[in-house]
Amino acid sequence: MRLLAFIIVTLTGAFLLYGTTEFPDWGDPNSPASLHVSNYYIEKTYEDTHAPNFVTAVVTDYRGFDTMFETAVIFTAGIGCFLLLRDFRGKKEHYYQHIPSGVILHVKDEKKLLPIGKEFGYMDKEWVPPDLINKTVCRILIPFIQIYALYVVAHGDYSPGGGFQGGVIFGSSLILLAISYDLKTLVERVKEKLLGIFAALGVLIYAGTGALCLLMGGNFLDYGKLAPLIPGHSGHIRALGMLVVEIGVGIAVMAVMTLIYINIVSEGRHDEGL
Amino acid sequence: MNIIVIALLVFGLFFFLAGGIGIMRMPDFYSRLHPAGKLDTLATLAMVMGLVLYNLNEISLGTILVSIKMFLIVFFVSLASPTATHTIVDAGMRAGLRHWTKKKQRS
Repeated sequence: MRLLAFIIVTLTGAFLLYGTTEFPDWGDPNSPASLHVSNYYIEKTYEDTHAPNFVTAVVTDYRGFDTMFETAVIFTAGIGCFLLLRDFRGKKEHYYQHIPSGVILHVKDEKKLLPIGKEFGYMDKEWVPPDLINKTVCRILIPFIQIYALYVVAHGDYSPGGGFQGGVIFGSSLILLAISYDLKTLVERVKEKLLGIFAALGVLIYAGTGALCLLMGGNFLDYGKLAPLIPGHSGHIRALGMLVVEIGVGIAVMAVMTLIYINIVSEGRHDEGL
Repeated sequence: MNIIVIALLVFGLFFFLAGGIGIMRMPDFYSRLHPAGKLDTLATLAMVMGLVLYNLNEISLGTILVSIKMFLIVFFVSLASPTATHTIVDAGMRAGLRHWTKKKQRS
């Protein structure tokens, strides 16, 4: 069996390697990829959009529809993860900590719930005390990570970065909070409803910008038509439109990342986990 | 100036090499994390310092801004890398991994 697998892997690899010999050379000016629209993008992007980073201009302006539906795909992924995994049934057993004495109570009656407050706190079966070093360092690092994420989003049209990357960094800062403290700390601060609203809001900002362009008399996602709304910036109005769209993408990606993490790690119950 | 830059870069490269050899040669999980955590931090510090000095050859607002960003990299790496090592060791201890002893090797 292993021999068969080895033969199949070798044959597939050989075919793939054989296929690469037909590829154009590295940086070949006559290759199909650099014959058609690439030259136009490289020469005309700055004149058209006033965005110095033409990767962003291609992604969000020339191919704005593509990116809009990518955002919609991410939103759908978040919703799908929520619908598949979310479990609203309560647990059969409950664990509580009596805070003044530190004793852990195991309540087997499903309906008997103790009041959560100064006297009793939630507790999990697999609970481990969060590490002090981790907590302190993550508390120092998380604000910097979030500022960096906003920087990446805001500089999307000037330097490498943009909504997707910034949103992922922001979401990972929230996940770091869940890892270094525990999941409940995150769920208390960032409510599930808020995450759902943000995921939808990001897509709404993107599609709404497109619809606004439609209302102002242009095509869908034709940012040039937004100029009367922001007086004094008619030169780089397209770059500003890209920025708005990137912010929408960032919000959606941040919310969906956090939503997927919370649902997967706690098997949909939002109570314990890493 | 260039001599100091080269010295710092070579210093950093030496520690990266030593860290790599250490990860390959050490006998078990905990002792492998020792070079991975410490030498990489020091090597990153030395190499980025060298790059900062090289960058400050001509002093203007732009190069000073870039240098400050590089210092931020050093700051965050030296904060995050030991913490990550600590966390991995902590996870190993909690999962119950025994540390390496010479007796175990003989048997």
